[in-house]
Amino acid sequence: MILETYRGTYFHPRTQFITIDKSGNVLESDDVLFSLKEGEDINSVSPFFEGLSTYFDVDEDNDIKFTCVHLEAIDQKEYTCDIEFKTFAANQPTLIMIHDFSDHYKYYQEVAQSRNESVINSQILELKNKYLKEKEDFKNTFIANFSHELRNPLTGVTAFCSVLEKTDMSLEQQDYVEVIKSSADHLKNMIGDILEISKIEVGKLALNEELFNFHELIEMLEFTYSVKAKQKNLEFEVNFDEKIPRYIEGDKTRIKQIFENLIENALKFTQSGKVTFAIHANQSRARKVNVNIRVTDTGIGIPTEKLDSVFNSFTQLNKSSKFAGTGLGLSIVKGLVELMEGKISVESEEGAGSTFKINMNLKYPINQEQTSLDKKSEMEKKNFLSKEKYSVLLAEDSELAQMAVLKILAQEGNFFLDIITNGEDVIESVIHNEYDLILMDIRMPGTHGDELTKMIRSLPVHNCKTIPILALTANLYDADKKRYKKMGMTDIIEKPFDESTLLKKIYKHLK
Amino acid sequence: MKKASKKIILLGHFGVGKSSLIRQFVENTFTSDYKVTIGVHILKKEVEISADETISLIIWDLEGYDDIKKTRASYLLGTHGFIYVFDVTRPATFENLENDITYLTNQYANTPLKVVGNKADLVTKTYLKENKNMFAVTPDFFTSAKTGDKVDDMFIALAKELVN
Repeated sequence: MILETYRGTYFHPRTQFITIDKSGNVLESDDVLFSLKEGEDINSVSPFFEGLSTYFDVDEDNDIKFTCVHLEAIDQKEYTCDIEFKTFAANQPTLIMIHDFSDHYKYYQEVAQSRNESVINSQILELKNKYLKEKEDFKNTFIANFSHELRNPLTGVTAFCSVLEKTDMSLEQQDYVEVIKSSADHLKNMIGDILEISKIEVGKLALNEELFNFHELIEMLEFTYSVKAKQKNLEFEVNFDEKIPRYIEGDKTRIKQIFENLIENALKFTQSGKVTFAIHANQSRARKVNVNIRVTDTGIGIPTEKLDSVFNSFTQLNKSSKFAGTGLGLSIVKGLVELMEGKISVESEEGAGSTFKINMNLKYPINQEQTSLDKKSEMEKKNFLSKEKYSVLLAEDSELAQMAVLKILAQEGNFFLDIITNGEDVIESVIHNEYDLILMDIRMPGTHGDELTKMIRSLPVHNCKTIPILALTANLYDADKKRYKKMGMTDIIEKPFDESTLLKKIYKHLK
Repeated sequence: MKKASKKIILLGHFGVGKSSLIRQFVENTFTSDYKVTIGVHILKKEVEISADETISLIIWDLEGYDDIKKTRASYLLGTHGFIYVFDVTRPATFENLENDITYLTNQYANTPLKVVGNKADLVTKTYLKENKNMFAVTPDFFTSAKTGDKVDDMFIALAKELVN
């Protein structure tokens, strides 16, 4: 009995039964969900039924089910229903059953909503990342190509300055050459900085570890910057902890670059007082010594609100032309320090000065006494040459570069030089002549220099397997360098090169 | 006289803007809030296709799927025309364009079909021109449910095809 009472109280039938005639007019309806008058067009419930009008006068047993259909009642109440459409043989009227599953479908909608949103968001995020990466790649390729294009003419300028310096010139002319040289050097450094930061940002910069004399490096820096500081009437003080091992295994060029950038930065922004360069050893363990490095100045300092952005690329806090530069120095330093798994930070007081602090580990070999470095200078090899004249092939299409190499080698007097400007003719020439060394430009018309090298290495004539082939290139990405090596190139001469770099490399590889 | 009514169905991935296209066409409104359609919503609009001919378009707005074959068969009964919608900014929604269109044209050979790239307001015309090879099937329309661009044109073009 009580069950019947409960049913009466809580059970609400949620299914409407409707019968219709062949034209879709209502015959009977129990009006559980929608109130319909006899003779009313079923299409008035929803346009849903309009699409089914062809099934209204079917005279066969048929049952079509539609799930999850949204219907709106006259009072604008929305129902989400399953609808069954039953036709019968023997002239019986069509039956429509509308089951209201609104609550169930509301839950389903919420689930679908959050699922779809998260799928779409992750797709959008993926696209954004892809777009950013493409943009970044474009930027870096652009920078690499652009700096390559700049390096070529710059090679001409630097190389001819060296040549020009050796001619008879008046004192005034010598001064002009000095200005050209230092401007070209400055430009070269800036291009280098830009290329470097683009390499650091794409993670393409690899460290070249070598054993080197760390004490000597510091002494050299002390000497160089004491002179520079004196020119500005500043004091340069070095506090060096002698506990630090003499020989260190690390990327000497990069470590030097970090120190130089910080010290030069300090000197640049200091008008009076002193710059202090301090290195102190903390603990050593497992062949690594932890060091604190500080570069302190009494310069203009950095406003507190700008401290966070000093290491960002292209941020130069002081926009006045008094302090020239690309604004990349500190971000390169930070990139390099992090590449060496160190940390860099800065403290500063405006008007009083700044302190840049680095904490990093330096690797060292255990047996310092027995470590020695082979310091035979490449130029010294010049005195041990076995032949009087060497035959050199220069494969290079840029006339500027051709003339530069020609002038430099002519001054030495030890060389015969053949010049070829087209990739195709190189192989021909190598077959017919026995060269002692080949200088190979990479980007040549016809076949590129690295491809040519591979071909030369496979030639069965003369000394093709062993002849030194030196790449002349401004493509300095590590991937490029690796490729040149793989193709069989012996060494790389970076463009722009000056007289001494070119000669050093040539003498290094001559037998 | 009773006007002819034609049932058309909008298909395509979820989130490509099927409901928004219909809302723009039927009510001239747009909201950027995304509300997932489940099952089917049916709307109706009278369309004047010539000076003396009007038809009722019964527009079925189906829940979006990543696979067209998952569409419930009963929904497709008695369909006079299809609109296949994708989102020009989201490759996942047009990766299977060619397969889906082949499937539809095989299954419903005589049913008119319009292929529509929606959300065209989010990219430039030049972008669409330069990247047209991205879409394996050349879309009939690039629409924007947001600005209303080409929305009416697209529905009316299909409506005209249904009558002829």
